[in-house]
Amino acid sequence: MASANSEIPAFDSGELKELKQKLVAGCHILDREGITDSFGHVSIRVPGTEAFLTIAGVSPGCATLDRLIMLDLEGHYLGGDKSSPYEWPIHALIMRARPEVMSVAHTHSRWSALFSVIRGGLRPIHMYAKFLPAGGPPIYPAAGLIGTFERGEALAATLKDANAVLLRAHGDAVVGTSLEQTIQRTIQLAFLGQLAHMAVAHGEPLYMSQDELAIFSSDPAFPARPWEYYLSRIRERHSA
Amino acid sequence: MASGKKDVPKIDSSELKELTDKLMTACHILDHEGVTDGYGHISVRVPGADAFVTIANVSPGCVTRDRLIMQDLDGNYLDGANTPPNEWPIHSCILRARPEIVSVAHTHSKWSTIFSVLPIKLKPMHHYGKFLSADGPPVYQGVGLVRTVERGNDLAAALGNQPAVLMRAHGDAVVGESVEQVIERTTRLAMLGEWNHLAMLHGEPKYLTAEELEAYNADQRFPMRGWEYYVSRLEEKR
Repeated sequence: MASANSEIPAFDSGELKELKQKLVAGCHILDREGITDSFGHVSIRVPGTEAFLTIAGVSPGCATLDRLIMLDLEGHYLGGDKSSPYEWPIHALIMRARPEVMSVAHTHSRWSALFSVIRGGLRPIHMYAKFLPAGGPPIYPAAGLIGTFERGEALAATLKDANAVLLRAHGDAVVGTSLEQTIQRTIQLAFLGQLAHMAVAHGEPLYMSQDELAIFSSDPAFPARPWEYYLSRIRERHSA
Repeated sequence: MASGKKDVPKIDSSELKELTDKLMTACHILDHEGVTDGYGHISVRVPGADAFVTIANVSPGCVTRDRLIMQDLDGNYLDGANTPPNEWPIHSCILRARPEIVSVAHTHSKWSTIFSVLPIKLKPMHHYGKFLSADGPPVYQGVGLVRTVERGNDLAAALGNQPAVLMRAHGDAVVGESVEQVIERTTRLAMLGEWNHLAMLHGEPKYLTAEELEAYNADQRFPMRGWEYYVSRLEEKR
């Protein structure tokens, strides 16, 4: 993989323009849908390389094309705004451990924060959870922001081959094979948390089994549908 | 203290422009984020003086430059609109007791109110509560608006050296070393209250211990991130 790094396009090259626009749109979507607040970030891998783009020390809702940064998977600066996000190891260490992952989102979603500190886990009661295990996402238990290589590695180890991990008293990290998928999953994880919370007020809900989730997974997926929809909802706020 | 008064700049002076602009923005933020309603106020200490500026008996969401007031720490009128807020002692008594404090917010936040009357405490179950002690904010038990120096002193005593105090059946008072910090703390106190409330449906949550809060407090801070974000949300509204 090291050889791939020689092919990383320059930060300002036209080649990266579409990725950057998609990244900014993904950030604005998470803000618009009420998932992120002042904090949180999204990354996108530069295809075929060991580099990624993310937002440079700015709230997702305030992200612009000139507040992005490019880093390699060791956190070295490769271009853009120089304010590296403190928790860059979330992105670098997950992308390093999971070569198929093209995008990572980290949020302080209230629903992830909630299910990270209660007993029982965020267990699926809706088919939107088909990207999750029936027991719910794993929980990273340690205190402290993911500001070091070691913590990033520990987080990636907790995530393992799952698509989402809750961070105790903190939030979540969600991965996908495209940025669109990561954004959709992040929103669905929040929806699932809210639903599971509401259901518990009525007693124990009927949770889905792994077999049932597999049945929904074998149905056709429509990945472009929600992206188009969420984009339409941010146009009201962001004209960029 | 009387000597402090001589040096107090006028409320409309260019010297105080940035601070009073920030105060008004802060009031609009708490309104926009749903923390304050028709009541509540924020104050900011006049640098180097025994005086503060707050909003002159107007809702935080409706504040304008001509509705600011400056008072000294005895509550004497100094400048601006001459309609002091009923609860000016919240600000003067806390600013007097805590010389390091620059700004005080008082709100009727629903989340502070609910935890002020429950046997359970509003304790940090998320790192947004890292400014609090592991045991959560103290509760001021007094009844009645804090409109006398005696009540103000009781409130300041209940606050002690903490960053926030809940006021039973009333709301909260939150302090900080800058207006930005007070806004971040006040909005986060409300978020934590809401999240604690949500968690209770599932049984007692796992709270952060004092050691774990310390681990979070050892991380780097981003004091302006929240301010930039909340200001951007106001601009969207305008």
